[in-house]
Amino acid sequence: MGSPFVRQVRRPPFAYRLARGLRRLSSVVLVLLMLYLATVAYSTYALAQSGPPAGSYTAGFVANDSLAVQGEFSIANPGLYPVEGLALTLRVLNSSGGFLGLVRSGSVTLAPGGTTTFPVAVYVPITPSSAAASLLVTDQVLSVGVWGNATYAYLFPVSIHFVQNRWWGAPFNGFRASAGVPSGSGGNVVVPITISFSNHAPLTETGALTLILRSSGGAPCGSTTFVLNVPSNSTFDQTQNVALASGCSISGGSAVATYTSGGTTIVLPPEAIP
Amino acid sequence: MSAPAERVIDFAGHRIPSLSYRILAGAALLVGLLVALVALPDAVLAYLDSHGVALPLPIATATVAGGILSALATARYILRPSRLYGPLSIATSLATIGYLLRFWWAASYRFTIPGSSSATFQVGYVDLILLLLVVPAFGLAAGVVTTIEDLSAPGERLPFDYPA
Repeated sequence: MGSPFVRQVRRPPFAYRLARGLRRLSSVVLVLLMLYLATVAYSTYALAQSGPPAGSYTAGFVANDSLAVQGEFSIANPGLYPVEGLALTLRVLNSSGGFLGLVRSGSVTLAPGGTTTFPVAVYVPITPSSAAASLLVTDQVLSVGVWGNATYAYLFPVSIHFVQNRWWGAPFNGFRASAGVPSGSGGNVVVPITISFSNHAPLTETGALTLILRSSGGAPCGSTTFVLNVPSNSTFDQTQNVALASGCSISGGSAVATYTSGGTTIVLPPEAIP
Repeated sequence: MSAPAERVIDFAGHRIPSLSYRILAGAALLVGLLVALVALPDAVLAYLDSHGVALPLPIATATVAGGILSALATARYILRPSRLYGPLSIATSLATIGYLLRFWWAASYRFTIPGSSSATFQVGYVDLILLLLVVPAFGLAAGVVTTIEDLSAPGERLPFDYPA
């Protein structure tokens, strides 16, 4: 026999329902945020495990007396979230801290699960008095400072700064112009001039190297031209006789070499003649 | 069939677990909270510290704050049938908001990448803190509503919190 009483389900009062709803909403938001943070942590770990940017570069002379270092590097983003608005700035210093060049990349987005390639080109104007002149004749360690800014996983603005040391092989490393014993007399004095250097740059030097000999007072005494075809990682050592102008002595003077190749003209730092 | 007499007080159409039962369950809850809010953060911070990464907050702060939050949440659970439930909900939410604001104050986290003397990494988390603040904000609002409800109609919510 059934019970004579009918159980009635009473609806909770409004205040109770409101408080319960707020508590449930709070829990839902918390769970969603925890899931989000867990996936961010996973993505960050995957990004960190993908290793540093991979890339390569080439160096060469271009017009306007400039040295160009061009290349590209790739950044993989194996995570679940994009890296948005990634902008990079590279600053290159020579071994003595002299400023060589600055390059800024445009803002790009690293899509999740993809790899993005950045082209990079640094043009370093070279004049005999500039800090970049040492790049021509001295192997050195360059300091490449990198600054990057981006927004990761929609919520996190991140910035990174690091400095990498990169070995630079000079195209005219150890450049030396030495004068031999002059011969002849009067207006027919000839002096043997020996040029030597090593090409440590990743390029083949073809063209001409014109050498102007100057007296201690700066007056031009004579000149000669060496024909170059020096592959990377090889040395050049050649002697040529230079006829000096009448009454002109190069003792205590200097030799100024100018490299010409195609449309490029690069003046090397002056070399003192004992 | 009713629950064991030593665990349940049955009256007025709802069943409130006994204080001893709530203390026992609260202790279990406390253990879980201490693991989540104290042990886990402390372990992460200690790991970072041992690898030379600057910490976003001292380990002691994480321990104390996690302990306070765990204790408040446990007390709130045990005292849920009483009028202190609402105020304890408010206190727990306020403590959580204060803890999150401690991170908000720093706004960003900067550290030197281990193994490199020159690589630094900085991440901002203001937006994340804003989103996280939504959680205790809802809890705070719920606590205020419950406090008002308990003052205006004591015991009104008990049949729904502890249905028979």
